[in-house]
Amino acid sequence: MNQSDSHAGELARLFDESLSRYQAALAEAKDEPALRVVHARFVGKEGEIRKRLADALKAAPGPEKRAVGQAGNTVLQKAEELFAERLRELHELKRQAELAKKLDVTMPGRPHKLGGLHLLTQVRLELEGIFAELGFQVATGPQVETDFHNFEALAMPKDHPARDMQDTFYLRSAPGQDPLVLRTHTSPVQIRTMLAQKPPVRIISPGKVYRKDDDPTHSPMFQQIEGLCVDEGITMADLKGTLLYFVKRFFGADVGLRLRPSFFPFTEPSAEVDIECIFCKGSGCRTCKGSGYIEILGCGMVDPEVFRHVGYDSERYSGFAFGTGIERMAMLRYGINDLRLFFAGDARFTEQFR
Amino acid sequence: MKVSWNWLCELLDIPSGLTPQTVAARLSVSGVAVDAIHPIGKGLHGAIVAEVRGKRPHPKADKLTLVDVFDGHEVTQVVCGAPNVPSPTEPGKSPRVVWARPGATLPSGLTLSPKEVRGILSPGMLCAEDELGLSEDHAGILILQPSDGIAVGDDFAQAAGLPDWVLELDITPNRPDLLGHIGVAREIAALFRHEGVTWKTSAVDVATLRGSQARTEKPVISLEDPSGCPRYFAHRLSGVTVGPSPLFYRLRLQRLGVRALSNVVDATNLALLLYGHPLHAFDFAKLDGHKIVVRRAHAGEKLQTLDGQERELQPSDLLIADASKGVAVAGVMGGQTSEVSYTTTEVLLECAYFAPASIRPTARRLKLHTEASHRFERGTDPNGLAVVADACAALIVKLAGGYLSSEPTDVYPHKIPTHTLTLRPERTWAILGLQIPAQAQKECLEALGLPVRSEGTNLLVEIPTHRPDLTREIDLIEEVARIYGIHNIPTTLPKLAMTASQPLHQGMTRYRNADRARQLCASLGLLEVMQFSMTSPERVRTGEGKSSPTQPLPIDNPLREELSVLRTKLLPGLVELLRQNLAHGLADVRLFEVGEVFLPSGQQLPTEKTHVAAVLYGHRDHFLKPTSSDALDFYDVKGLVEQLVSGLGLSLLWQKPEQPSASSVYVRVATSTEAPMLHPGAAAALLSGSSGEVIGTFGELHPDLRASLDLHGAAFAFELEVPEQPRHKPGYVPASRFPAVSRDLSFFVHSETEAAKLLGTMQQSGEPLLRGVTLLEDYRQAGHVEAGKKALLFSLTYRSDERTLTDDEVQKAHQRVIDHLGRAFPLQLRQ
Ligand SMILES: [Zn+2]
Repeated sequence: MNQSDSHAGELARLFDESLSRYQAALAEAKDEPALRVVHARFVGKEGEIRKRLADALKAAPGPEKRAVGQAGNTVLQKAEELFAERLRELHELKRQAELAKKLDVTMPGRPHKLGGLHLLTQVRLELEGIFAELGFQVATGPQVETDFHNFEALAMPKDHPARDMQDTFYLRSAPGQDPLVLRTHTSPVQIRTMLAQKPPVRIISPGKVYRKDDDPTHSPMFQQIEGLCVDEGITMADLKGTLLYFVKRFFGADVGLRLRPSFFPFTEPSAEVDIECIFCKGSGCRTCKGSGYIEILGCGMVDPEVFRHVGYDSERYSGFAFGTGIERMAMLRYGINDLRLFFAGDARFTEQFR
Repeated sequence: MKVSWNWLCELLDIPSGLTPQTVAARLSVSGVAVDAIHPIGKGLHGAIVAEVRGKRPHPKADKLTLVDVFDGHEVTQVVCGAPNVPSPTEPGKSPRVVWARPGATLPSGLTLSPKEVRGILSPGMLCAEDELGLSEDHAGILILQPSDGIAVGDDFAQAAGLPDWVLELDITPNRPDLLGHIGVAREIAALFRHEGVTWKTSAVDVATLRGSQARTEKPVISLEDPSGCPRYFAHRLSGVTVGPSPLFYRLRLQRLGVRALSNVVDATNLALLLYGHPLHAFDFAKLDGHKIVVRRAHAGEKLQTLDGQERELQPSDLLIADASKGVAVAGVMGGQTSEVSYTTTEVLLECAYFAPASIRPTARRLKLHTEASHRFERGTDPNGLAVVADACAALIVKLAGGYLSSEPTDVYPHKIPTHTLTLRPERTWAILGLQIPAQAQKECLEALGLPVRSEGTNLLVEIPTHRPDLTREIDLIEEVARIYGIHNIPTTLPKLAMTASQPLHQGMTRYRNADRARQLCASLGLLEVMQFSMTSPERVRTGEGKSSPTQPLPIDNPLREELSVLRTKLLPGLVELLRQNLAHGLADVRLFEVGEVFLPSGQQLPTEKTHVAAVLYGHRDHFLKPTSSDALDFYDVKGLVEQLVSGLGLSLLWQKPEQPSASSVYVRVATSTEAPMLHPGAAAALLSGSSGEVIGTFGELHPDLRASLDLHGAAFAFELEVPEQPRHKPGYVPASRFPAVSRDLSFFVHSETEAAKLLGTMQQSGEPLLRGVTLLEDYRQAGHVEAGKKALLFSLTYRSDERTLTDDEVQKAHQRVIDHLGRAFPLQLRQ
């Protein structure tokens, strides 16, 4: 055995001893920070292995320095591998521990409750949207109206029998003043619009209206949506087409309609509109009283008398108007049979339609 | 309006293929809505009229009677359970009953066979009205008299005009001509003109009604108000014998919803149902001076009407009087003094035309809606009076005997002429969007009985006076559309002509903002409800406070007290809905409403504003069982208001802005006048940044109100005005590329110093680098903070848009803010 052999042997023994303690320390480290402390203690700048290597290099004679350096690098490389391996192991352990979590995913969630729009608001917005597709702008007006706007201008002078069709709430008005009423339909909005602008007019007027009635199918307050279209060359065929479009968009593409001549003081010709019963598809049931049809709205060509009141030339312009109840649309669509539910403010009702 | 199918068949030849159902279906799609078809006596076969010859109790049952009935050949014993079996008199004059013999079939489908009833065999049964399909009446068996003119042994169904169908028509107010069978027949004849429906001819020969007796004087009629009563026609009949009408007519009236009274009155009602024109029979002997005066009532004049009520009249009421007193409210209801009774022998038959405007106000004021007023106020035919009166007189003679004892009196100073309307066929095209040939249009109008002649391309249409609804060309276009068939009109969409600057309609900003508020509230977890605009005065007081001068608008004719005024606020109703929902067992309730309120304005129309309001009760959203820290508090409702306000495009400032700003709002403590429903220590007011007016309040519900609603826990509420101005649309500001730096600021301050004042002062410090101030802590624990003080912790954010700030720059800026704040408030900084 020569001198250099014994030097090398001594060095290898020292490195082995360090490595084995290093390895034990690594194994003891339970997390990454602890592991890094161990790493620094042995392999860091001031670490034990580096120190021993530096000492050995310093002690080694010139020709052997190279071999010592090589041996040292091998040991350092080995130490880094051990560290990386243990680090991977620790990461894996941590990951396994995290994955060991097991929740009862069937428990109810932490609530973030939705509010909700009233069903009638939803239906109104849908109707406004459908008519917007046909170019109808929304128009509104006051709910307390003058007798003139609610009746007179709509060809219903005082003591006209047609006033019996709508039981009216009157407000106290000053003596000599035009009586004030809670509007019985949204038609006064049509009058106000026509008084304010020249044709073409194409509006829908949704809003609350009032009639002196109170039972499961009549409410003293309900909501109407009325349409008005006035221009040169507007015909009853246009009215029929507009209504057919609406019916198909709202009730379904397979639902047809029919017009039945009727009477309204402010339209002529006038008609009631039926849709094919959406419950029995026209074969006859309780809702449609066996007729296969359900009445949904009233309509007609604007009466020349109305045009006279708003200063439109009825020889030049023609127009159509129609009106229906928003509640009625909602009742048909959702199978609700008591109108009073809409105004009872019961959260259990409203919640169903969020 | 009910019509009898059989009666229509007396007027029209209707081919057998046309059933009541077919005709009803066509009527319904042509302007005469048929609401229902009731079969009368359908399926009744083999029941005969039999005379009662004897009766005795059933030996084994108290309530049963053994009745001997005679069918013209033999006497048979029938068991009967009815309480009203008549006693026999002499053969031939004894009361009669309807006997369903074995083999007979009833409308219910039952076929009779001999049946033992408590030990005694009964060959069939005696029938009540319901068993015969006549009505719902089951009080007793139907009893007939010899005067009913039905021979013993006759088939009952045939004699009673069965089976029949009653069509229930919904006649629109413009068509008074359809308020009688003839008018309906006219309509059917027009609609089925191509299917072989034709008129049967029938004319009354008045001469035969005069008999051979000597002529007496014509009735004396003094027509003082020819504008209210343009024509008065009267027949005088003598020698009548008043009694019940024969069964056939009684049943016809009953089926059409009119009570049978006596043959004379029944005759007037039958004529009314036939022609749609009301008539009235007076007992001639009871007319003082034997005359009729048509005049306006004197103020306060009283009249006992046929319904037994005393009516006080006004000078606006048209009155039928005799020489000394009123005898009928013209066109509405007769009076009791001259009523036809069983002692009447002489009748004055009134057939007058009253102007609609003279009837309606009276009928309305007296709340007397009668068959007569219903027709007169819609318009009857002034030129048809003689025909109607003659037919009615003929019926009286037929049912009650007697004769026309004088020439009629016909006072008609100014004849109401027929008029002519011009119809341009191309105008029909323009309105309907369907090119109906001129010839076809002519044919439609002629089918309705309107004489038409052509003049150039136009049609000249003569309008008979029974069609008061036809006054304009458009009325004729409607008739053409109806008769030609509205289903033939094609479907097109209106061409879209649009002016360049179609404005948003008035009021639409508020409307859109209201919908925006609804969406915001819903997304903040609130449920929308909708309440009536009408409310009770008491609720208004709750919402406005006792000292408020605000008076709600009263409704003159409310349905009931609870709906007698228009609401001025939404909250009083909402808290009631909260109470109801809690009563339903709900624990956490959050309701909102967006709706109109009404306030007196001093103008013609009241002020209408849209409010948004909400009530909250219970807990925030919570996981599993709620804990006490989940309970809602004031700052929940405030947080909602903050989100809502900013969602509506308003910026929420800590203090009143130095420059008025329409798009900003700020909060201060609300007074109890401003928020009468809220807890005085937890009530805030929201004020407009431009006017400084209160536009809303929010906070905790007042404990007194809570107690009155029986609420156990605290409730919270807000009510705000929905802005009327367009929503502020901010311009885009790019996010800064440079980092922001935060500095904490912690100090002790007097405990009543409002946070908003501190926040506002810091924000308005003028420090350009300060970008935000957030309150992080409000700490008042005794022992750590001295009494009367609170410790507040704020976080202040600094940033530049040009560079990354240095620590030194931030520190200097922070110090400037602290100094500024310290000048306004005595602070004691914490380190
Ligand atoms: Zn159906």
